[in-house]
Amino acid sequence: MGSKANKPELIVNGKRLDGRAFDELRPLKIEAGVLKNADGSAYLEWGNNKVLAAIYGPVETQPKHMAEPTRAIIKCRYQMAPFSSLSEHGRTGPNRRATEISKVTKEVFENVVMLNEFPGSMINIFIEILQSDGGTRAAGITAASVALASAGIHMKDLVYAVSVGKIGEELVLDLNMIEDNYSDSDMPMAISPRNNSILLLQMDGGYTKEQLARAMKMAVDAGKTISSIQKEALRDVYKKVAERYESV
Amino acid sequence: MKNIVVPGELLEERPFRTRNTYVEDGKTYSMVLGLYDKETASVTPLEGTWIPHIDDTVVGVVSNVKNSVYEIDLDFHIRSIVIGGKYDRFEFKLGDVIQATIKDIEEKKTIILQYPRLLNGGSVITVTPTKIPRVIGKNNTMIKQIIESTKSRIVVGTNGHIWINGGDDALARAAILRIENEAHVSGLTERIKNMMEQKM
Amino acid sequence: MDAIEIVKSNYIKELLSKKMREDSRSMFDFRDISISTGTIQNAEGSAQVDLGATRVLAGVKLDVGEPMEDTPDQGSIAMSAELLPLASSDFETGPPSPESIEVARVIDRGIRAGNCVDLTSLFIEEGKAWNIFVDVYVLNYDGNLFDAGETAAMAALLNTKVPEYENGNAIREKRTRKLKVDNIVTSCTFGKVDNHIILDPNGDEENAMAARLTVATDKDQIRAMQKGLGGSFSIQEIESLVETAMEKHEFLKRHIEKHR
Repeated sequence: MGSKANKPELIVNGKRLDGRAFDELRPLKIEAGVLKNADGSAYLEWGNNKVLAAIYGPVETQPKHMAEPTRAIIKCRYQMAPFSSLSEHGRTGPNRRATEISKVTKEVFENVVMLNEFPGSMINIFIEILQSDGGTRAAGITAASVALASAGIHMKDLVYAVSVGKIGEELVLDLNMIEDNYSDSDMPMAISPRNNSILLLQMDGGYTKEQLARAMKMAVDAGKTISSIQKEALRDVYKKVAERYESV
Repeated sequence: MKNIVVPGELLEERPFRTRNTYVEDGKTYSMVLGLYDKETASVTPLEGTWIPHIDDTVVGVVSNVKNSVYEIDLDFHIRSIVIGGKYDRFEFKLGDVIQATIKDIEEKKTIILQYPRLLNGGSVITVTPTKIPRVIGKNNTMIKQIIESTKSRIVVGTNGHIWINGGDDALARAAILRIENEAHVSGLTERIKNMMEQKM
Repeated sequence: MDAIEIVKSNYIKELLSKKMREDSRSMFDFRDISISTGTIQNAEGSAQVDLGATRVLAGVKLDVGEPMEDTPDQGSIAMSAELLPLASSDFETGPPSPESIEVARVIDRGIRAGNCVDLTSLFIEEGKAWNIFVDVYVLNYDGNLFDAGETAAMAALLNTKVPEYENGNAIREKRTRKLKVDNIVTSCTFGKVDNHIILDPNGDEENAMAARLTVATDKDQIRAMQKGLGGSFSIQEIESLVETAMEKHEFLKRHIEKHR
């Protein structure tokens, strides 16, 4: 949360600063299979967030002693580029925030990846935030999910993530950077759409029980849009090739 | 009609156990990005890693030799070896490209190969292993056609490595890379046939 | 090197003995180059370069800092390169590798020696100056990070706008003044495979090559050079490669200048 001293008015005439309604997502675009070398990849633009996710795996586990004989292990690295934010040059290398995000992201995918399919192997997830505009962990998870599918990894579901925050007493979906800095609360969630189970949940600020229930419903409702964009991104890769012939 | 499905996509409202799907609460879901054929209720993955089976032909490179145990790099997360014996005499050196057949997969930890054969000269290209069945084609039709047209010697490894030597190897490469790219689009056999005829 | 890479590098050698390259280029051809600038709006400048399948993204940030003691009327420029693990299965997470440090330092030398950025234009007021950070992010690796990186860094600097300054702070929402770039330096990297010399080696060719030479030039002069790997070049070879690099300067410069 930013300093409250020069907090801007985040809601004017019932609209948010960028003109969105309270339950409105920022524009979301996903493209799958963007990196040649990776086994799977996705590029995502969500508001002004720009995110690359890439998958390498399943590969031989390194270091070897970490290998699990009956299942695959997942490694995840989330990182923000030093030029990604509209503030000073960022330091490279893992910091405490990035380390935590990498951990909870890894745990999201441990839930849906069919780890038993690839015993002894390792699946690497790399998430690079090229430009940040609030909600980068949700953007990273949403992109990584598409990248995993495009790598042909066996999964129970195509997970998406989104955050719901609170400005004053108003619940707002998908906070951007300014809202994130000055909001009263923020709650990123990752959800498995087939049964709406919650795979990531982080929260700070203050919610009543009623607000919490409503926030989760907002996330699930928004998830329908996010899921369909994820699926389209995956289908588009193959449709584009197919269209070259079917239009003739 | 085949549909592109994604992981977690509901395929059937009833349980239906086939490859690349799973059943939860009595419903059948896809577990991969693939093509779903409703008639056969099967999902063919569009991407992904190789799944080794006994009797598969593989193409690999000798990456280690120790007491006539040859380690073969198949670009896979499980180690592969071929063991020379009394009656099974062969000798390879590091970096040799060989073809071999899978004899056994021991506890998902080691792939044991047999009938190794040196592939001399030529080059190796790598395609997504899920596309290998299309490269081979039904009853080997696709690969036969490429070999006949290009006069190249070609050995297709199910692990994704393909060895090509001699003939019009550039055309053979181009055809195989095209199959990889267009594997999911119907009419592929016809397009490759035209490609071969045009170049001849 | 993987066993399979050795096989592929043998193939490269065989092709070169017939004066051929994997992607049917001639010896001194670059792969296709495409540049897009300004994609990272949060950065003060940015450029993405695709050189064949090699893709790098350079981002520029300007921070308010103090001038160096020996140059009190100038700002500074710092270059770094990161070989991201998502760019290749050969790149690992962890502290900067010697390879990434070499790439950054070679790019830095060309741009610094060519006086590309007018460092005095970065002076703000007594004790304050802009410090420029250029980060070269490798997104997909298929050889020749030196030329892709130099091109991206140069294009990103041309794309850079200086924030306004107020009471010791950068006002990044207000960026009106273009960074003063006085010179353009371009870079040509050659690989030597057996006795064959090629320009702009791709990944397979890099695996096959025994020696590497990077030559950064502007219109008139050689600005930086770096010989790498265990092999060697003769004096005649170096003289002739420098010639080629100078000939290629206009071609590369035209690509970069489109984004001024």
